[in-house]
Amino acid sequence: MTSTAERASPQTQKSRDSLATRVGLAVLRVGVAVLWIENAGWKTPPDFSSLRRYTSEAVEHPVVPPFTWVVEQIVLPNFTFFAWVTLLVEASLGAFLLIGLATRLWALLGIGQSLAITMSVMNAPNEWEWSFYLMILAHVAVFATAAGRCFGLDEVMRPIWRASDSRLSRLLLRLS
Amino acid sequence: MTRQPIDRAAMALGVAGVVSLGFSLTTSSNNNFVLVEGLGLLVFPVLGAVAVVGGAIGQRGVVLAAGAAYVAAALIQLAQFGRSPNWLDGNGSTFALLLSLGIGLLVVGFAPRPAPGG
Repeated sequence: MTSTAERASPQTQKSRDSLATRVGLAVLRVGVAVLWIENAGWKTPPDFSSLRRYTSEAVEHPVVPPFTWVVEQIVLPNFTFFAWVTLLVEASLGAFLLIGLATRLWALLGIGQSLAITMSVMNAPNEWEWSFYLMILAHVAVFATAAGRCFGLDEVMRPIWRASDSRLSRLLLRLS
Repeated sequence: MTRQPIDRAAMALGVAGVVSLGFSLTTSSNNNFVLVEGLGLLVFPVLGAVAVVGGAIGQRGVVLAAGAAYVAAALIQLAQFGRSPNWLDGNGSTFALLLSLGIGLLVVGFAPRPAPGG
């Protein structure tokens, strides 16, 4: 049984804070993962019609002219290929962030994909620009805190990778 | 008996598979997080239960079997959604969740374990 003195000790308080921090970071990571998982749900092959409409917003309501040029000249003429890449990247972002595997790598990719979305639709009617900034910031937080080390597979696997001499293990240590 | 972290991770992933049934309770077509319907109502919990058992008894073969089955289901879902037939009645979100559980279970299943007594 824990005594009153122990409950109030700084060490106990620190441990409680640490648990709260770890739970909070896990919730953040899983929440960001579910964001991508849900958004993989409306990108439907073979025609990806909803995604095509969204992608066209980059041309109709430009945010960054060079990005608009890329969308108009490269992405839209080869739309099916880029739509599949988008679906696979976003589904993978959701999958890996959910289990917290190679989390820092996927957080960086999430920042990149969030930037692409921002440059596509931020100026479209009825869009709130801070929703895009918040997406980017959430991934920055996941990256900065290495959130996969809190109740994620990175936490379980890092001691195994650390004990291994392989290049893949060393790489995964850096990406987690 | 003290379970190894990778066994506990396999059990946690299995539990996630079982509780993902909860996504079938959502009613909105817009904000349903993950589409779990049709045969998916069977695949998610059954494979999840297999993973829980594999983790509980520390049998990596059972964990790997559940992981491989989740990945196979993910690939079938990827090939079929937006088309007919769609055996799992899912979409891209279903694919992503199946992929997540499959990769996770394969990673913990293939993870090296310390030798007994080591």
